[in-house]
Amino acid sequence: MPVRIEADAELPELALDLTPTLVVSTALATRDFTPVHHDPALARAQGSADIFLNILTTMGLVERFVTDWAGPRAVIERIDVRLGVPAYAGDRLSFSGAVASSEDGRVTVRVRGRVSLGDHATGTVTLRVPDDLPEEDG
Amino acid sequence: MTDPEMTAEELHELARGQADLGEVRGAPAPDPVNAPMIRHWQQAMGDTNPVYLATGVAPPAMAQVWTMPGPGERPDDGSPVTDVLAALDRHGCTGVVATNCEQTYHRYARLGERLTPATRFTDLAGPKRTALGVGFFATWTVTWYAEDGAPVAEMLFRVLKFRPSETGPTTPYPLRPAVNQDTRFFWDGVEQGELRIQACADCGALRHPPGPMCPVCRSVARTHTVATGRGVLYSYVVHHHPPVPGRETPFAVGVVELQEGVRIVGNVVDCPIDKLEVGMPLRVTFRRMDDRLVLPMWTPEEA
Amino acid sequence: MLSGRAAIAGVGATEFSKQSGRTELRLAAEAVWAALDDAGLSPADVDGMVTYSQDANQEIAVARETGVGELTFFSRVEYGGGAACGTVAHAAMAVATGLARTVVCYRAFNERSGRRFGRPDAGLGGEPTSQGLEMSWHVPFGLVTPAAWVAMFARRYMHAFGATSEDFGRVAVTMRRHAATNPAAWFHGRPITLEEHQTSRWIAEPLHLLDCCQESDGAVALVVTSAERARDLRHPPAVVAAAAQGSGAGQMMMTSYYRDDMTGLPEMSVVARRLWEMSGLSPADVQAAILYDHFTPFVLTQLEELGFCGRGEAPGFVRDEGIGLDGRLPVNPHGGQLGEAYIHGMNGIAEAVRQLRGSAANQLAGVTNVLVTAGTGVPTSGLVLSTG
Repeated sequence: MPVRIEADAELPELALDLTPTLVVSTALATRDFTPVHHDPALARAQGSADIFLNILTTMGLVERFVTDWAGPRAVIERIDVRLGVPAYAGDRLSFSGAVASSEDGRVTVRVRGRVSLGDHATGTVTLRVPDDLPEEDG
Repeated sequence: MTDPEMTAEELHELARGQADLGEVRGAPAPDPVNAPMIRHWQQAMGDTNPVYLATGVAPPAMAQVWTMPGPGERPDDGSPVTDVLAALDRHGCTGVVATNCEQTYHRYARLGERLTPATRFTDLAGPKRTALGVGFFATWTVTWYAEDGAPVAEMLFRVLKFRPSETGPTTPYPLRPAVNQDTRFFWDGVEQGELRIQACADCGALRHPPGPMCPVCRSVARTHTVATGRGVLYSYVVHHHPPVPGRETPFAVGVVELQEGVRIVGNVVDCPIDKLEVGMPLRVTFRRMDDRLVLPMWTPEEA
Repeated sequence: MLSGRAAIAGVGATEFSKQSGRTELRLAAEAVWAALDDAGLSPADVDGMVTYSQDANQEIAVARETGVGELTFFSRVEYGGGAACGTVAHAAMAVATGLARTVVCYRAFNERSGRRFGRPDAGLGGEPTSQGLEMSWHVPFGLVTPAAWVAMFARRYMHAFGATSEDFGRVAVTMRRHAATNPAAWFHGRPITLEEHQTSRWIAEPLHLLDCCQESDGAVALVVTSAERARDLRHPPAVVAAAAQGSGAGQMMMTSYYRDDMTGLPEMSVVARRLWEMSGLSPADVQAAILYDHFTPFVLTQLEELGFCGRGEAPGFVRDEGIGLDGRLPVNPHGGQLGEAYIHGMNGIAEAVRQLRGSAANQLAGVTNVLVTAGTGVPTSGLVLSTG
C-alpha cells in the first residue's frame, strides 16, 4: 500500500504496552540511569505511580513511529516535542499522527502520543523524503 | 557562599550570569558512535528501520545517548545549567518536569566519530503558576559537535522546576493577606519581584497602604510606581512571645520609611537582632512563603 | 450640651480571676445585677443597654437574662477597649436626649480561660473587609499581637525622646504597688521591683512581660441615668462632666504607623481637647487619672496628650513627680489593668466612681474630678467624672 504524504494523510497508529521491560530496557539503551526509570520503590517514594518512560525514549519512539511509516529513505531533520503526562509502566502508549504539510520533499508530521492520563507527547516531526516519491510498503 | 534562599530576582541574576557564560563545552563522548549501542537501542525501541546499520549511521534521536553520564557519574558536570537548577532546589522548587525537547539534526552521526556536547543556558522564566505549583521554566540548548567542529545535532530542552503543591516540605503559610481589587496590584507586584506603591493618576500622591480613592484629590484613577526598594528602618519590634503560626521566634518586624516617602511594614531579615537600629538603611528582598504567597521583606543595605 | 446631664449611679462587678468557671453571659448578668443593686434600681427601671465590640454577649441576651424588659436604646460601640468610656458617652447621650431613662453599660468575658486576647489570630487578615485589608499589611509579617502593635510605637518613642525600658518599668511598678493594697486586685499583695520588671522575659522588644497587662476573667457593669435622678439614689452620683470619643486622621485599628509622627496618640489628643473643653476643667483640676494601661508605654504618651506634661516629658514626670498615690498625679489607684484586672477599661471607670464616692480601697483625699481614658492605639474615648 503506498504511503500518502499529502496534507492530512494519517499515519497508522502505533500502540505500545509499556511493560516494565520496555521502560527499563529503553532507559538503559539510552544510557539514562535515573532510578525513576528502573526502580519502582524509589519512583513511588518520590511521588510517582510507578517507573515511567524517560525523555530520550519518548524521542526515540516518536522517531520510530514516523520512520515506521515513512520508510528507510526518509531523513529525519527535526523533532519538536512538548512533554505532557508521564507514561507509566503498565499503561499503554498510542501514537497517532497526520501530515501537516508536504512541500518539495519536506514533510511535516503532527504527532500525538497518548496514555490513559492524557497526552504524553505532542509535537511535530520534520523529515525529507529524497525522491519526493511515495514510499512503497511491502 | 550562595544565599540558601535566593529571591526570584536573585535567581534571575544568577541565570543571566550563567547565560553570559555562553556555550560551555563538556567532555567528549566516552565512546565513538558504534554499532552495538545502535543495535541495542533499536531493539529496545522496537525500531526495525534497516537504514542505520546498513549505511553506517546512527538513529538521529540517539544524539544525546552518546554523551549520557554513566550510573554514579555526575550529570551536567561543568554545565552552566547545574548551578541554576541547584539554586532552584534551594528556593524550594524541588520538583522537576521536562516540558519541551526540540531536536534538530544537521546530519546523521556516522559510525566511528566521537561527539562532543556544548551547553548554553538560555533562559529562566518565572515564577509562574502551573498546575503542579509555582515554578520556574529553565531553558538550555545542547549542540553536539563532530571532531571537525561542525554541529551534528542540536537540542533545546526546557524544564519546569516547581514547588510541589501537594506533597513535599512546604505547607501553606498560615498568615495570609486578604486581597481585593484595590490591593491586588501590590501582591501581583511582589510575586514578580516589584515593590509597587500606589500613585494617584491625577495628583500623583503616593500612598501606602493603598485604597480605592485618593484622599488628597478624590480621584479614583489609580496607578502605581515601582519603588526603588530602598529605605530606612523607622521603628521595629522583635517578637518573642507568644508563638506565631508559620513563624519561628524571635523575628523582627519593622516600619520602613521608603526613599519615596511612604512607610511600609515588613520583616527585617538577614540581620542579627542586636544589630537592628532605627535609621539603618535597608533594601527590599522578596521571600516566598508558599506556592501562592511572596512577602516583601527588608535586609540591611551593605555600606 | 452633655456636660452635667447624666451620671453613673451604680457600679457592679464579679470577682476578677484567671478562671471564672462560669459562662460569659452569666458573668454579665451577675455584674448587671450587682450594679443595679448598687444603684438601688431594679431591672424594670432599665430601658437601655450598651456594650462594645468583642463582647460575646448581645445586649438583648443580657437584658433577657437579667429580666430587663423593653429596651428603647441599645448600642454597641466599636474598637474594643477604646470604646470603654464610649459606652458611658452613648448612655449619657441617650439619657440627655430622652431616648432612655436608665442605661446599663457592661463588659464581660473569660479572656484568660476562654478566648485569649493576647494570642495571635492568624485569621485577622483573612477577609477583604476594610479591617481585614488593614490587617493584611501587618499580619502576614507575624505582627499579630496587641503587644507587638504597641511595641512598634514604643520603639519610636524611645528613639525620639531617649526613653528607656526602665521608664516603662516605673509605670508597671507603680501600678503593681497600687494593686498590692487593693483586695479586689488579682495582684493583691504582690508588688514588683524595677529589677523584676527589667529581668522579666521579652514579649515583643522593647516590651517585657511586666509591661503587658494580664488577661482576666470577669465582668463590670455601670448604671447611667440622669444626674437629677441619680442624686436621689443610694450613692452620691458620679456626674458625667465630659464624655468624648476620638479618632485621628489616618487612623487605623492598632497599626497607625503611617501618620507623620509615631510618638503620640493623636486620637487621645482629640479626646483630651473635647474633655477639657466640655468640662471647663484643666489637667490641674483632676485629683486622679484612670489611664488605660494595657501596655506601659502608652501611659507615658497619654500623660503628654492629656496635657499633664509636655511632649517627651512623661518619663521625667513619672520618675520625678510621680504617678503614685502620693505623686503629683495619682494614676490608677486600684492598680489599673496591670494590677487589678483587664476588663477593657470598665473596671477603671468603676474605680473613678468609687474615688468620687470616697469608697475606694486606696482612697485619695478630696477627690472631686477624675479623668478616665479608654484603650490606646485604637480609636478611643474618655470621661471626666465629677462629684455633685
